[in-house]
Amino acid sequence: MKITKTKAFNVFFKPIWESNPISGQILGICSALAVTVQLKTAVVMSLALTFVLAFSNLLISLMRKFIPRNIRIIVELTVIATLVIFADQVLKAFLYDISKQLSVFVGLIITNCIILGRAETYALGNPPFHSLLDGIGNGLGYSQILITVGVLREFFGAGKLFGFQVIPDTFYAAGYENMGLMVLAPGAFIAIGLIVWLQKTVSKE
Amino acid sequence: MSNYIKSILFAAVLSLVCGGLLTLASTGLKEYQFKNIELDKNKNILKSVGLMDGEDSVSQKTVEQLYSKNIRQIWINVDGKIVPEQRKGKNDLPVYLFSQQEKIQAYIIPIHSRGLWGKISGYMAIKNDGATISGFTVYSHQETPGLGGEIEKKWFQKNFEGKKILDDQGNFVSIAIAKGSVKERIPESRQKNFVDGISGASMTGKFLSAGLKQTLTEYEPFSERYRKNEIK
Repeated sequence: MKITKTKAFNVFFKPIWESNPISGQILGICSALAVTVQLKTAVVMSLALTFVLAFSNLLISLMRKFIPRNIRIIVELTVIATLVIFADQVLKAFLYDISKQLSVFVGLIITNCIILGRAETYALGNPPFHSLLDGIGNGLGYSQILITVGVLREFFGAGKLFGFQVIPDTFYAAGYENMGLMVLAPGAFIAIGLIVWLQKTVSKE
Repeated sequence: MSNYIKSILFAAVLSLVCGGLLTLASTGLKEYQFKNIELDKNKNILKSVGLMDGEDSVSQKTVEQLYSKNIRQIWINVDGKIVPEQRKGKNDLPVYLFSQQEKIQAYIIPIHSRGLWGKISGYMAIKNDGATISGFTVYSHQETPGLGGEIEKKWFQKNFEGKKILDDQGNFVSIAIAKGSVKERIPESRQKNFVDGISGASMTGKFLSAGLKQTLTEYEPFSERYRKNEIK
């Protein structure tokens, strides 16, 4: 059997492009707007979300046979909240500056619909290994969009990448100006819109 | 076993496990976090007197070096007199002195103000004339990101530079955050006592103005001694 036909492969790679949580399912847009002004915060946010998503999927899948139906949402949220607070504490201990810039948005991972969505629709009904892959796949799908938007916004909005200037001074001297719109939230909306368009056009074939 | 008891039991065990894990993580990481907060405070003190830019990321060592070379903490009493640290009382206030070339350039006052959602903490540096603000920073707040949260941004804090806490007659009036733009809202003679407000965050501005006034009033005896050139 070809590797691209296995279930594990599909579970992992489908959310990265085809059913991407942001551009395919239009979930988790709020944080995608808020933390993508700079590439650095976008990357850290992506890592935090992928971590939470992978482990919440794994843990919920491990417990799926014991979770009482009537309190399953509460249980899912408890697991997710624990992971998010843990990620937040680690960021505060080791990446203090970035955690200050991300401010409430790390805490708001709890309410990110991608995570509860994956827990409800996938982890509750599938074995742990596939759930873990699904979590990482969706996390990377989210990260991929976040980082793309982050690159676009920091490059066009500030002429920088990771805080280093990439557009040479001669360009500015010649009259080039940073695009102020990209720094504001509408800039992210437009960027995400363009990505959705691109993705829909490419995957139609 | 009935379903209810099973649910309650499951929830109890899960809460216990999650709570335990979080307690472990929080106590284990506390030391690192505390160090970061201290470092961040020192960074903000340096930022308030313009020794650091705040944008660039500098190593812990540079911050510590800059800090120990330029900044010194003292305690003052309610009359603005310096008291030795061993004999400081409950009502004495901390001040940070910024000196260069053996001369005090500015003094830095810790600011603790009420905000709309929580406490706002920062520093305000005042030049050795006892009247001109040389910088203002915020290191901790709970205001809404994008609205009141803008108080931590450079554009807002930069407005404080060069403003006065005295009016034209030399009376203490504190510094306040205007509702909107200073140029449009405030008569010309008072413009030096106001900074531009943040649109959509007039409550944050109101609370911060009150907090600044209260703190500056407490430190007023000390500022007055600078104005009278009693401290060099």
